[in-house]
Formats: sequence, structure tokens, C-alpha cells
Amino acid sequence: MFKLKYLIRKITVMVILSCAALSAAPCHAGENPLKVVATQTMYSSVVKEIGKDKVDVKYVAPPKFNVHFIQPKPTDVRNITKADLYVDAGLDLEAWSDSLLEAAGKPELFRGRERNVDMSKGIRLLEVPDHQLSRAEGDIHIYGNPHYNMNPENVKIMAENVLEKLKSIDPANASYYETNEKAFISRLDEKIDEWRKLCTNCKGREILSYHKDIAYFADFLGLKADQYIEPKPGIPPTPKHLEFLEEYVKANHIKAIVMPTYYPKDAAEVLAKRVGAKVVTICQNIGELPGTDDIFSFFDYNFREISEALK
Amino acid sequence: MRIALILMLFLILMTQKEACAENIAALESQIRELTQVVHELKNTVDIQQQEISDLKRNYEIKYQVPLPQPTVQPTILPPKFTPEIGAVADVVAKLDSSKVDPENVNRVSIRELELVLGSNVDPYSRLDATIAFNDKNEIDLEEAYLTRFGLPFGTTARIGEFLPKIGKMVPVHRDSIDTVDEPLVIQRYFGDEGMHKAGVDLTKVLDLPLPSVHQVTVGVLEGGNGDGGTAFGPARRRPTLYGHLKNYIDITDVTNFELGASEAVGSNANDASFKTNVLGLDATLHHIIGQDKEIKLQGEAFVLNRRESIDELDGATNPSGDFWGGYGLFDVRLSSQWGTGFRFDYVEPVNRLLADPNKAEIGYTGYLTFYQSEFARLRAQFSHIYLTSGGIDDRVFLQGTFAIGEHKHKLQ
Repeated sequence: MFKLKYLIRKITVMVILSCAALSAAPCHAGENPLKVVATQTMYSSVVKEIGKDKVDVKYVAPPKFNVHFIQPKPTDVRNITKADLYVDAGLDLEAWSDSLLEAAGKPELFRGRERNVDMSKGIRLLEVPDHQLSRAEGDIHIYGNPHYNMNPENVKIMAENVLEKLKSIDPANASYYETNEKAFISRLDEKIDEWRKLCTNCKGREILSYHKDIAYFADFLGLKADQYIEPKPGIPPTPKHLEFLEEYVKANHIKAIVMPTYYPKDAAEVLAKRVGAKVVTICQNIGELPGTDDIFSFFDYNFREISEALK
Repeated sequence: MRIALILMLFLILMTQKEACAENIAALESQIRELTQVVHELKNTVDIQQQEISDLKRNYEIKYQVPLPQPTVQPTILPPKFTPEIGAVADVVAKLDSSKVDPENVNRVSIRELELVLGSNVDPYSRLDATIAFNDKNEIDLEEAYLTRFGLPFGTTARIGEFLPKIGKMVPVHRDSIDTVDEPLVIQRYFGDEGMHKAGVDLTKVLDLPLPSVHQVTVGVLEGGNGDGGTAFGPARRRPTLYGHLKNYIDITDVTNFELGASEAVGSNANDASFKTNVLGLDATLHHIIGQDKEIKLQGEAFVLNRRESIDELDGATNPSGDFWGGYGLFDVRLSSQWGTGFRFDYVEPVNRLLADPNKAEIGYTGYLTFYQSEFARLRAQFSHIYLTSGGIDDRVFLQGTFAIGEHKHKLQ
């Protein structure tokens, strides 16, 4: 046992020393792209549209999962220790983000610091609380609804936030980023016109959503979304609440129940069957479904689906 | 003389009058220019207001939706400098099969109420504190430490009272573990609730050209164990040195594996020549099946090598020597609301004066967890334990864990 113990100790010390030696060796040489870590795929996509080959972007939250409940991994910590820029949603959507930044231990990437982009800056927030909050209201957000990336108009503001930060930390390529941003906004404006025309049938209609994550999407299209499958944000549906919804959906002639892929579909499907509505998958994250791999295909898919469902 | 003075004053006044007249003329000219500028600006503003009105009207006609309103500021602004404050209540009902209960453990109790505080101190550091109260009117300062970020070579330091990064379970708070109680090896060697000690440690994520992630932690702690622990002696003056190497790899997007090695060297007694070496090895395989569905296989083993000071004094057969213990955990998250799992425990007791030296404590534990919400959890657990005294103890636990306020979990 003694020999085994000392052997293990020697191996451990050797491994640590070897790692430290390798770690101290320079890994990079020459001009490299800026390393950017974004919390979500929407933000990494916006950064890529503006930075193109001058940025190397990674994201933390896998798109098939609910961004509220991500468990960051040591790989994310390692990526952030190497990052030049960190992009997050701001507000209080990504409760895990601060712990992740602290684990990486780079103060310049912390909230409000010089190498942090808060994508919510300049966004017109919806559902801003106007009363004292309590957890009795469920998993609510204290600054307002944080799912602003569902409105393509807000993507333009996010692009501006990214542009400003890229220019400040990499002024040598400022004109390159500006050119890319202008081209991106121009294309986005064209698509926004296209999406509005596609969804003219949605204006004034009411939908039922699983979670309170559809406000900005509804706002863009002039949809009404007042009721949710969850009785309170983050609280799974109860039989009593589903009974109420059944009456509500019938009374208000609601044709579409919208939800992303990661919530359980059972309750929505049972309700849809009872009331003759359709369950429509509306993605919250870029890459959540095949064919939604960039900003344009993401919104293409979502607007096509809702328009079809409400015809 | 007087006439000369009067003449002089008259001349001075005349000169001043001429200068004043010039100044007044210049000021009048400036006022005219400024009036012209104001007039032009007013015209510009009027034109721009008209343009804005036209654009608004065109937008609303084109899209038949009202123009977005300006950003509304939250009416309840979060306090800027108030620390994050949270509380976690841990209510446990315990019943075991022993016929005597001298320590009155078979009861419903507030095992602990943790008050959790934390905030940034300045741009480089953060202070975290956890104070635990229980229904025996005891207060325990579990944590109070400063984290200093951004040290040279990308190192992060902690100083104060904290949970050392020895293995997987010791650094985790009780409200974050998968079972009602800690594995037996943690309870017997480090303390009933693990171990928190004052000290300082340094952590660095190594920048290696490898797909895997490697993190090294080294630290020095005050000596001793947690309550009920036996790995080290009670001498706090003799520090415990420890190190941990974490190796992590993403096998696929949804499967990852972590292998860790720890070593802690501390004193058994007031005489520093009597040492305990603790070697630890931990492994965790984690697989995500889908949203809210995942499985975890975790195992951890510790080997203790003790040089005991009481060999000759009490005539014990061989209290110095090697002891080991470990656990294996299989945890399944079935849905957003349900989880279950199983734990196997094995531990050789250090204090052989109180136990049969040939026997180890072996436990089988099963549990079922109901997550009422993100902040409330109920758990039922059954443990079947073979004691070193030769007896068997069956234990039933019911636990409720409830959190309010802000409570950030540190990434492990």
C-alpha cells in the first residue's frame, strides 16, 4: 500500500508539473482572430455576421436546451479563460452566467466591464414589473421579459452593441466591422419587410404559449398572447389550469399553441386535441431545429410556421 | 490742483464712456447673430419634427401596427450595492431502527438554515459568506472567503473559511448534493457535513493544446477535520496542505467524463511528526438524455495513511496504517419534477478502538426526489447500513429543501 501510495503521488506531481510546463509555453503566434464567447447561439450568430473571419466565436448554451437551466461545463470555463470578449443577454435570464465568469476568473469579462457586451442595452423591454415582486408569481424576471431576441427589430440593436464593442477593442479593423454591420442590417431590413408581409394574417390574432417567452415575437407581429400553459412562469401545468385553458381557448377561438422544442409537449397536445388547435414549434434558439442554423433561416422558419398555423 | 484732478477724472470718464459704447455695440451685434442662430435651429427642429411625424404615419400605415414606444425603465430598480442575500432551509425527518436514541436524532428538525451572502468587493474580488443556524441554537460559519480574480498567470485565489476542493463531494454544499446525507466516507473521514476550513488556495485552468480541460488547485488550510471527522487530528496549529487536479473531457455534445486526483497532508496530533496522507480519486460520467433528463455515474475513493501517536499508549492492535473508503452513486433525473438514484458506501473506520478492526461500514441507499419548483424540493431516502459493531441500521429520511432570495451555486 505504501509503495502504491508513493507511486500515485509521484505520478500526480509529474502530471501537474508537465501540465504547468505545457501551459506556460506560448500556444499562439501571429495575428489571430478575436476569441469571443457568447452565452447563446443568437448572440454568437450576430457576432459572426459582423466579425466574420476576424472573430472566432463559441457559445455556451446548446440550442436544444432551455437557456434558463444550462449547466456550464469546464470546457466553457476554459474557453472563457482564453476569450477576448464575452457576450451575454444582460438582465437576469442567464442566472448561471455570473458563476461561469467567476469560475474563469477574468475580471475584464465581467458584467459592465470593458470586454463584456450586454445585448439588452438599448432594447425596449416588455413586461417590466410595476409592482413589488414575489416568487409566488413563479420564476419571474425582475427587469422585464428577457426573451427579446425573438423580435428581428431587436437584432439590429444587438448588432449595434456588438459593433461598438468590436470597434473599441479592435480599432484596427473598425471599418471592416462597420462594413459588415451595414451589409447585415441592410439584408435584415429587407427580410423584415418580407416577414411582415408573410405574416399579415397574424395581426390581431391570439395564440397560447407554453412559457412567457413569446412577448417580443407577438409584439413584432401584432399577435395577442395573454395566457400560458404554465400557470406561472416555470411552474408545470396543473389539471385545474388546463381545464381553465380549455374553456379559454374555445371562447377566444385560439388556433395555435406555440412552444419551443425543449418543453414537454404532453399537456399542449392534449389541450390541442380537445379544442381543435394546433401545436406549433417556435424556436427560441438558432440551431434548435435543423434548418434554423443562422439568423435568417431561424426567423424564416418561425414566421412561416406561425403564418401557416393561423391561416 | 483740484481743477487738475477734476479734469483728469473727466477725461478718464470720457474714455470709459467711449469704451463702453464700443462694448455695447459689439454685444448688440452678438445678440443679433445668436437670435439668427436660434431662429435657424428652431426652423430645423420644426422640419425634423414634421419628418418624424411623416415617418411615424408612414410606418403605421405600411405595417398597420403602432410604432414601438420608448424603453420603459423598471419601476422597481434593483438595489445597486446591496449584497445578494438568500436563505436555504433544510428540514429533515429521520427515523432509524436502533432501539436507543441517546442523541435524539430520530425527530423532525431544521437541520440547518443557511444564510447566504455575497457581493463583489471591487473590480477584482468578491466576498461570499454562508452562515448556518440549526434548531439546537447553534451557529456555524460555514464559509466566509474572498475570491481574488485575475492574478498573474490567470490564477484565482480564495482566502478565508471555505470548502476545500478535495474530491467531488467535499466542495459541494449540502443543499446541492443528490442525497439527504453525505456519503459515509465523507462523514467518517472529513466530517458529518464534510469539511470547511480557514486557509488560502490557488486555482488555475491550464492552457494546454488538448481537447480536454485540466484545472489545478493547491492550498493550505488550518488543521483538523469537520465535526465528527477522523482523517486528521484536532491540532489546528499544524496546517493541512492539499492539491487537486481535475481532468475533464467532452466525449460527445451530451456526454462528458471527469477524472480527478486529490492529496491532502495533515497532522494527526499536536506532534507534527504524526501525519495523515489522504489520497483521493474521483470519476464522474455524465450523460444528458434530453431537457431535464440525464444520468450521472459518480465514484470517489479516499485512502488514508496514518502515523498514529497512540500506538504504544493504549495498546491498540495497529491503529496506524492504511484505511480506505469510497462510494458509488447512480443518479437519474427522470423529468423536470422527478429524480431518483442509488448509492453504495464502503468505509474502513479510522478509530479502531471503537470498532472491530476487521469490519468496515457498508451502506446501501436509495432515494426519490420531487422538484416542486426551482426553489423547493422534497426527498425521501432509505439507507440500509451494516455497522462496524456488527449490527444493522435501517434509516428513513424525509427532507424538504426550500430556498428564497438569491443563491448562486459555484461551478464545480
